[in-house]
Amino acid sequence: MTGKRLGFISALILAGMCILPLGLGIYPQHVLIVSLFYVMMASSWNLLAGYTGQVSFGHAAMAGIGAYTSGILAVKAGIDPWIGVCAGTAIAALLGLGLGALCLKMGGIYLSLTTLAFSQILHIVIVNEYDVTRGTMGLQVPGLMAEYSKITYYYIMLAAAVLTLAILYRMIHSNLGLNFRAVQNDEVAAKSIGVKVLQVRVLAFTVASAMAGFAGGLYGHYLLLITPEIPSLDLQFNVLAMTVIGGMGSFIGPVIGAFALNILAEKIRDYGEYHVLVFGLVALVVARFAPNGLLGIWRRFRTRPHARSSNRLQD
Amino acid sequence: MKLNRRIVTGAVALLLLCSSAWAQGVIKVGIVGPRTGAAAATGQAFDEGIKLATEYVNSKGGVLGKKLEVVFEDTAAVDKAASGFERLVTRDMVVMVLGESQSSSALAEIEVANRLKIPFVVAEAWADDITAKNYPYVFRAGPSNSGVVSQSIAKWVQFEKFKKVFIIAENTDWGIGIGKLTENAMAKAGVQFESMITERNSQDHYVELTKIKAYKPDAILAYIYGVGLHYFVAQAGETGVSPKAVILDGAGPPSLWPDYWKNVGDYGNLECFASSMHEKVELTDLAKYFRESYVKTFGKAPTDYKSRSIFDAILIAADAINRAKSTDPTKLIDALEKTNLKTTRGMAKFGMEKGSPRYHQWDPPMLVIQWQKKQQVVLYPPEAATGKLMR
Repeated sequence: MTGKRLGFISALILAGMCILPLGLGIYPQHVLIVSLFYVMMASSWNLLAGYTGQVSFGHAAMAGIGAYTSGILAVKAGIDPWIGVCAGTAIAALLGLGLGALCLKMGGIYLSLTTLAFSQILHIVIVNEYDVTRGTMGLQVPGLMAEYSKITYYYIMLAAAVLTLAILYRMIHSNLGLNFRAVQNDEVAAKSIGVKVLQVRVLAFTVASAMAGFAGGLYGHYLLLITPEIPSLDLQFNVLAMTVIGGMGSFIGPVIGAFALNILAEKIRDYGEYHVLVFGLVALVVARFAPNGLLGIWRRFRTRPHARSSNRLQD
Repeated sequence: MKLNRRIVTGAVALLLLCSSAWAQGVIKVGIVGPRTGAAAATGQAFDEGIKLATEYVNSKGGVLGKKLEVVFEDTAAVDKAASGFERLVTRDMVVMVLGESQSSSALAEIEVANRLKIPFVVAEAWADDITAKNYPYVFRAGPSNSGVVSQSIAKWVQFEKFKKVFIIAENTDWGIGIGKLTENAMAKAGVQFESMITERNSQDHYVELTKIKAYKPDAILAYIYGVGLHYFVAQAGETGVSPKAVILDGAGPPSLWPDYWKNVGDYGNLECFASSMHEKVELTDLAKYFRESYVKTFGKAPTDYKSRSIFDAILIAADAINRAKSTDPTKLIDALEKTNLKTTRGMAKFGMEKGSPRYHQWDPPMLVIQWQKKQQVVLYPPEAATGKLMR
């Protein structure tokens, strides 16, 4: 795709996204806002798992760090939520840097286990330190604006998601992005041509953590209630499923996955207590019949006529 | 091919037209409550109460001459509670929302009710803050922490002449709130006490029980909801803490769930619990009707009193809509404030004292009951007592 064509399509989608909520009620607007949160989460996790091959289970924990930092600062110290969101992003980035420097040398399963442990420790601390976090009861926090407005929250989340995606796009399509791919494909070969493997990994981990912290901070102030559900494994697995089902390792896959799975999850809430089962079944079917995700299905359909015509030419 | 498409389009259009015409003959109320997770049993109890209440209301002519329909939204996850409430109001177009049993979820929902200006009658979330905020659109037709402590638990502790009690509360809005109120009530009554917070989902209470055993209390006031209470009762029996110290389940339903005896075995004997329902004591003729309909419909006796709480909440809502002769929120608020309705738990009437949790609050009477050889014996209040405390 040429740069001009891509720019035109992106501008068209963005214009569509700007108009989209205008005719909708507040509930569909809510669904879109949550989807945009998941777009930020899944796309930033994709930077780790899809582009540098680091499967971290601490991504939701980083969102929790962002949310709780901002929420606690607002509730206990009366700090403006916008400053809180920036502080939450910075703390998540610092923790990402620390955790990355500490455990990224290990890589593979050890990285997954360490981030899983980090996530669980954080969850336990949040649940039990109820004097500060209000534990499972949830921390009621002020909103980003004095007057609650769904549509304004939508545009804030849309701007944040666009910013996140723009940064990710620039990173992936730069020399740094090539380094990410090189580290993912063959660590030894990458090292032999002068790529600083550890630094590249730590950088990806720090950037992804900062993005998760940013998303978590905004999400917490949108919900007006921050609960341990944000830094939970449930949310982590949602992000994982969205990335994998959308199409891991592609730029647009996690965006599709985030919208598709979140809208599906809302749709099947009608099934009451069976909605968890229905969601699981859908995820299983997609994983079984579309291992490259929804984007993979789209690509297969797009390339099929070409394949057919090239076969004909060969004949 | 074109013809087929036209037929399908026509059929869909007809179906939509029919469904919207049918929908015009219906007035919807929303119910919020946990249908999944640790408190899913409450969702089941709500489901049963909803079925009986809608049948009852519709058999009496429905609301404003239309059929009453209920939409039940799962709000088990606290962070989904507010969006679930919004979904009921904006997508399902309900005229009123009822229910909820988790205080944390209810506290998130009352903010939405207030913002969207939709009447919300809480049924089983007990935290005082729900009505203490004095939101005009928020009512509670069910127990409140302060009501249960001051009217039942504190009085029962004094009635039984307990000298020392241990308060153990789960780390939720309900648990911490009722725990604090009990501490104040015990201090006021001159009863020696010690207290502790426990993790809601804990399956291991041995550490807490070691501390309780050393304190040697006469009674343990346990504010733990769900299967967590079963673990506590079983482990207290196992460690010999009870029945020396009598356990009071401050919530009630977990001691009445069908798997209670399976989970606690003989250690469940002599445990006490607070409840608005007793297997033999009926406060009104409507309570008798409820029991008979329940047995007829579900082929078993009602155990979880939350099925009756939601039944009452639906009756209160239907009565308010009929008296308001409208579904306009302001008129509904006015009608709810003037409620004086016979329910299964007595006459429902909301308090109007502003500046306190009594505003828009109706506390149904609660009983303190003890399991004695798998029989429910009412201990308190004395006028309803069917036996004496056994230890």
